[in-house]
Amino acid sequence: MLTLALLFMWITFAKASDPAYEKAMAKQIAAIETIQTLEQSQQVSNSFLRIAEAQPEEWLPLYYAGLLQIEAAFRFDVDQDEAFEQALGYIEKAKKIAPDNSELTALEGYAVMGKISVDPGSRGQSMTPQAMQLYNKAISLDRENPRAVLLMAQMELGMSQFFGSGPEKACGMARMGSELLRKEKEKITESYILPTWGQRLASQFEKVCQ
Amino acid sequence: MTRQLYFTALFFLIHVAVFSQTGISGKVLDEKNRPLPGVNIFIKGSYDGATSGEDGTFEFDTDAAGTQTLVYQLMGFKSQEFTIACDFSPIVFRDVSLREMITEMNAVTISAGAMQASDASKAVVLKPLDIVTTPSAMGDIIGAFQTLPGTSTVGNDGRLFVRGGDASEVGIYIDGLRVGNAYGSTAGNFPTRTRFNPNLFKGTFFSTGGYSAEYGQALSSALALNSKDISPRSQGDLSLLSLGGGYSHTLSSDKQSITVTGNIFDLGPYQELVKQNIDWERGPHSWDLEMASQKKLADGGLLKVMARTEAGGMKMWQKLPGVEGRGVFIDLDNRYTFAQTNWKKAYENGWTIFTGISYSDNKDDIFYDSVNLQKRSKLLHAKFTGIKDFSDRISANSGIEYIQNGYKEAIIEAQVERDYEDHQFYGFTEWDFYLSKKLVFRSGLRAGHSSLNQETWLDPRASFAYQVSENGQISLAGGTFSQVPTENFRVLNPGLKNVKAKHLILNYLYGGNGRTLRAEAFYKSYDNLVTFDGLPMAPLDPINEGKGFAKGIDLFYRESRLVKNTDFWVTYSFVDSKRQFDQYSSKVQPSFAPKHNFSIVAKHGFESLQSQLGMSFSMNDGYAYTDPNQGEEMNSKTQSFQNLSLSWSYLPKPNLIIHFAVSNVLGRENVFGYQYAQTPNSSGVYESLPSGQAAPRFLLLGVFLTLSKDKTANNLNNL
Repeated sequence: MLTLALLFMWITFAKASDPAYEKAMAKQIAAIETIQTLEQSQQVSNSFLRIAEAQPEEWLPLYYAGLLQIEAAFRFDVDQDEAFEQALGYIEKAKKIAPDNSELTALEGYAVMGKISVDPGSRGQSMTPQAMQLYNKAISLDRENPRAVLLMAQMELGMSQFFGSGPEKACGMARMGSELLRKEKEKITESYILPTWGQRLASQFEKVCQ
Repeated sequence: MTRQLYFTALFFLIHVAVFSQTGISGKVLDEKNRPLPGVNIFIKGSYDGATSGEDGTFEFDTDAAGTQTLVYQLMGFKSQEFTIACDFSPIVFRDVSLREMITEMNAVTISAGAMQASDASKAVVLKPLDIVTTPSAMGDIIGAFQTLPGTSTVGNDGRLFVRGGDASEVGIYIDGLRVGNAYGSTAGNFPTRTRFNPNLFKGTFFSTGGYSAEYGQALSSALALNSKDISPRSQGDLSLLSLGGGYSHTLSSDKQSITVTGNIFDLGPYQELVKQNIDWERGPHSWDLEMASQKKLADGGLLKVMARTEAGGMKMWQKLPGVEGRGVFIDLDNRYTFAQTNWKKAYENGWTIFTGISYSDNKDDIFYDSVNLQKRSKLLHAKFTGIKDFSDRISANSGIEYIQNGYKEAIIEAQVERDYEDHQFYGFTEWDFYLSKKLVFRSGLRAGHSSLNQETWLDPRASFAYQVSENGQISLAGGTFSQVPTENFRVLNPGLKNVKAKHLILNYLYGGNGRTLRAEAFYKSYDNLVTFDGLPMAPLDPINEGKGFAKGIDLFYRESRLVKNTDFWVTYSFVDSKRQFDQYSSKVQPSFAPKHNFSIVAKHGFESLQSQLGMSFSMNDGYAYTDPNQGEEMNSKTQSFQNLSLSWSYLPKPNLIIHFAVSNVLGRENVFGYQYAQTPNSSGVYESLPSGQAAPRFLLLGVFLTLSKDKTANNLNNL
């Protein structure tokens, strides 16, 4: 048991070998929360891209740059299609560094879902399976990934609304996602830089799933 | 004293610490010297940098010292790098302007003649889903295109007729490879359909003229169908129609997928129930088996294979004008096989290589009265192309092609047998020059050689497009187009020269905010059209003596946001065409080219009913025909053609679709021409029979069920 703990610590240390990188990441991750304008979003996104350029072996900075593009497309007045394509470009690059990564796969699904939302009438039919497949894959890569589960729940909710069926399935998944999110919170320390977002997504279900 | 020294030292140290950073500031501009915000400016290999603001300026400090690289980066723009010396004194860098990269997303596209159906956001006129939801189309690809500008509906034929051209002038391609006999074989006045299911394709490109040098053997129009990539999931699709049914099964994984489909159709039982105008002995029936497979290869290439085989037939009595009784007995049997495979790969160095081969084999066995005519047509098309992007401004598409076409026909009783085999070689090259993202110029050249008529030819083509406003663009396209004559003529006279056409097209396209407006003017001339003596059923001595022209305008308007949940498009095409061809001794308006053509398609979704209601209405001013009682050729015109079709699609469950469609709801008795007796009757009058519709109305009821682990999957996902 002790050896396992030591091994775990060693892995953590090995991973945390570059404090400058971690510090820079932590600073920008904190900055994400303060974004109010497109300009601010661009600044934070560019900071992540700079880190990505300097640390070509890390997938996380590209992940966050992609996430910011997707959220900017939903929040601000930008060419949505272009923003989602950009996000997919960053994700594609990150996937070369970390293939079969659950978080990246879920984010790709999120970007595809964004593309569907631009023109649901004609894209929904052909791209929905693609998004669902990505979420499925993300979950099978990491059953503890709350974002993969919550995003899939969102997709399910959209489809249940379209077909006029009940939200039970989506709600069940959302509950599971919220639970995973809660579990994840216990792991979070000050130097934790892996994705932890999803709370806002989870609270969206509270009204629908009473 | 020591204490003071210590403080002095500390003071300096602090200063050194402050001065151990270099402040860098500057300004970024675009090509037009306007401030460019959002640019990422940084020292390569460090985290130090900044983002340019609304006024294009930036400012940051860096700890880096010595010779460093300053990078200017913005997605969609060409990055720039500069060497700077960081010696702790502030650097005010000169203004830098970034050039926007021209990409598929932001560049103008050549829209003259072209109508694309895809999910892509630009220059799209029709979406793949529209093909199956257009009521008058009855699920046929061609049926949906008949509601687009530049086409005319010829209801007793079913094929695609473009701008005064006959149906053979439309070249049909799957993944750039030619398809022989793409329409089902038919007889009498019974309209045909495309053999290929719309579910096979992810997008289509339809051009009514002025198209790329990549497409040959198409005089008036190119219809390019692009097959699907890897299926996203394994599923089974069951379809039950009032005319038959089928089952399709898909097995899919990350790297590959395969779909196998089988269908059986028989119109017989339906025709027993609903009154028909055709005197059927045995209604049209067919079976088909189809396989489509896609595989992502380890090297990054995509390999596709598609194969289809089918058999069908029909038996009918065709009344003859001026003759009592049921008329002649026609018995048609058809066998058809199509197979193709292609491989495509995009390399990092800007090359995209495509190579593919297709094979079509069609066999018709027809009894006309007691005469047995057998026809066999084979077409092999091999193609190799390379696309090279030299930069974001210049790209070239070049290729070589080989077509082998064999044709044989025999009249058994008369012991007449004739055949030919032709080997055709082609080369093409086409260059796109983007002078800016608003202006593109394309020039292409296509060369061909046919072993049968010993002709070698060159077809130059050019087009350009200019973006005049945010959502509007104009384009102009022109060129020459060549096509070998149709098989039935070539077999009689193998020396027949190519039929030639020249196109000139001016197009305006406005697209944005859920609205598309398209206006096009065109002029087309024909040379070397085939004319013959005798009757169309039995041509004699075909020669290249015909000439002709077609000119006109098209208008297309599509609106999807004006009324909630409603999408509609309106089309008007005016075609003025005269040509000397077939049996005509002078220039006449062809029967397949009505002057005024109008259509409207509207779809409305009822969310609460989980239904979509579709309506389409087409009309034209009538078809020209020759009344031998009046002397001159093409001296008469039928009454106006009108067709109102309705459809209703219902999704009671996510994986179940019920579709019901009726064509010609009003039961209008449309006539497409008249058939006259060869000789006048005793009172000196040529008797006639109208060539009308197969039935006053056509009804289609279909139930589509999808079986998959994912319960939300349905047949629409196949589109």
